[in-house]
Amino acid sequence: MPDPIIVLSAQGLQKSFASPAGPLEVLRSVDLVVHAGESVSIRGSSGSGKTTLLQLLGGLDVADAGEANFLLPGRGLVPAHLNLGKGVGFVFQNYQLMPELNALENVRLAAQVAGRPATGADAYALLESVGLGGRVRHLPSQLSGGECQRVAIARALINRPSVLLADEPTGNLDEATGAEVMRLLLQVVAESGTALVLVTHSREFAARTDRQWVLSNGVLSPA
Amino acid sequence: MPWFLHLALRQLFPPGKRFPAFATVSILGVGLGVAALLVVQTVMNGFGEEHRLRIRESFGDCVVVARTPIEHPQDLLKALRADAAVASATPYSEGPALARQGDFSGVAFVRGIDPTDQGHPARKYVFAGGFDELDDGRVILGFGLARALRVQVGDKIEVWSPAMAERAEKGKAPLPAVFEVCALVRTGFTEVDDRAAFIPLRRFNQLWSMGDRVHGLTLRLKEPAQAYEVAARLNVGRPTLQFVPWQEIKKNFLEAIRFEKTMLFFLMFIITLVASFSIGSTLFSAVIRRSREVGVLVALGARRLDLVALFGLQGLLIGALGTSLGFLLTWLILFFREQILGTINYLFGNGDMVANVYQFSKVPLHYDASDFFVAAFFTLLVTTIAGLVPAFWAAGRKPSEAMRDA
Repeated sequence: MPDPIIVLSAQGLQKSFASPAGPLEVLRSVDLVVHAGESVSIRGSSGSGKTTLLQLLGGLDVADAGEANFLLPGRGLVPAHLNLGKGVGFVFQNYQLMPELNALENVRLAAQVAGRPATGADAYALLESVGLGGRVRHLPSQLSGGECQRVAIARALINRPSVLLADEPTGNLDEATGAEVMRLLLQVVAESGTALVLVTHSREFAARTDRQWVLSNGVLSPA
Repeated sequence: MPWFLHLALRQLFPPGKRFPAFATVSILGVGLGVAALLVVQTVMNGFGEEHRLRIRESFGDCVVVARTPIEHPQDLLKALRADAAVASATPYSEGPALARQGDFSGVAFVRGIDPTDQGHPARKYVFAGGFDELDDGRVILGFGLARALRVQVGDKIEVWSPAMAERAEKGKAPLPAVFEVCALVRTGFTEVDDRAAFIPLRRFNQLWSMGDRVHGLTLRLKEPAQAYEVAARLNVGRPTLQFVPWQEIKKNFLEAIRFEKTMLFFLMFIITLVASFSIGSTLFSAVIRRSREVGVLVALGARRLDLVALFGLQGLLIGALGTSLGFLLTWLILFFREQILGTINYLFGNGDMVANVYQFSKVPLHYDASDFFVAAFFTLLVTTIAGLVPAFWAAGRKPSEAMRDA
């Protein structure tokens, strides 16, 4: 059996922020490997650095030390911050959709920004796969929180990323809607073969992933 | 369409909002600034053109003078009339005289002209009596001079020329020349209206003892705009004569109009600058409000230049639409200028300033394409810069910081 393909790896990630009391060390030394198609979860208390870790993994911020790389098809593992939008998809807690664009346009935007040719049919198919085939022309303000998050999931998948980073995607949703979004998220990543890194407070949702980690005192350890 | 242009349009004109506040107010502000600029420029152009026309009509396109009166001008007139650039050439003489009517007197600047000259500009400015009534016993007076002498058409005035004073010095009893006022003219030039008196050239030469000599010639050219070149060419080989193009006759006055126009351009441009600053500040607050969206766009793979284009284009679009609106407003204001001026006169009781002060029947206009081009260029430049400042600020932020800010 061949070795599983590594789609995301981090070694020795360190990050601190300036504070009135001196440097605040958020991540001490984080090592992480995610394989193709697997789902992993990261739990931790508020302020433990989960979002910071996700931003470092996704290239939205730069670590003080260490490095994060992800798989870019055809180019192998590349530094995250150099290839934003190419091999990583993001799902945020607050959906972060463009309020002036409808659902279909929001999904297409991700492809256009990344410089990929994506037709309306691709975006429509993705929206249909998350159950929003009938609401593609609706603006975010005309959609519920759960529906917005489903649009965000479709947007994250339009560029066929090798890994999807989800930052508390159910944090703004009620229990039932959160469960439905979680089910959908796990389903679509499984169908697309995309690896998932899920940051969540919920033990229940975390338990549904292949591997679980806990971030505490700036160190990541298996749950 | 590039995504940043699509998004810029959507952010300016969100779907479902007919008049989005930011875009509407910004475009209106720029439009009003551009309209103010162009209305002033176009009216100033109109005044300038009208004054230039009056200078040419009052003094001719080119005046031929010499240090001494021109002897036997017929040969010169014949040669000039034969020139391809000259439409007509007429002799004139002029000189000051004392005009009197009863107890009222004034200094008249008498000009001897050809009464049969059908193209004489004074014909256009006759507002009482008739130009064709002019003969050896009649005079045409400027409006201001007639008022000073308290005369109307049909009244008589006495004219004392300097030649009469010479006669008195020789012991002869001088008698004034008596003229009946046959017409009044009003050109709008105070120095013409307050002093001009036109009599036939033959009569002038008698009163001034000029014989066959004249003081100068008035040329009307086929291309008045070429007056400088034609005057210089005609002057070649005629060193005793001086050919003065109309632009030189009232050079200081024309310079003053041009300077006034330039100053008004800068004053009016400040209005556009103020509108652009308000665009800049509003766009800045919009960029701050959209910080998370900026972070998301970076997460999706947007490059810095894309973000600069996204917000810079909004400034450019506002500038382009505001300039277009300004052009439309300019046309509307100028099209209805008489009604607008009438309303202002009615509300503030100023009377018809245009007619009373400038003797223009209506507010003069002259559309100059270069004014529109300059206004559009500077407006687009300023509004684009107003958009680029926040655009560069947004593009320079770290995405993680942008996403943390609300």
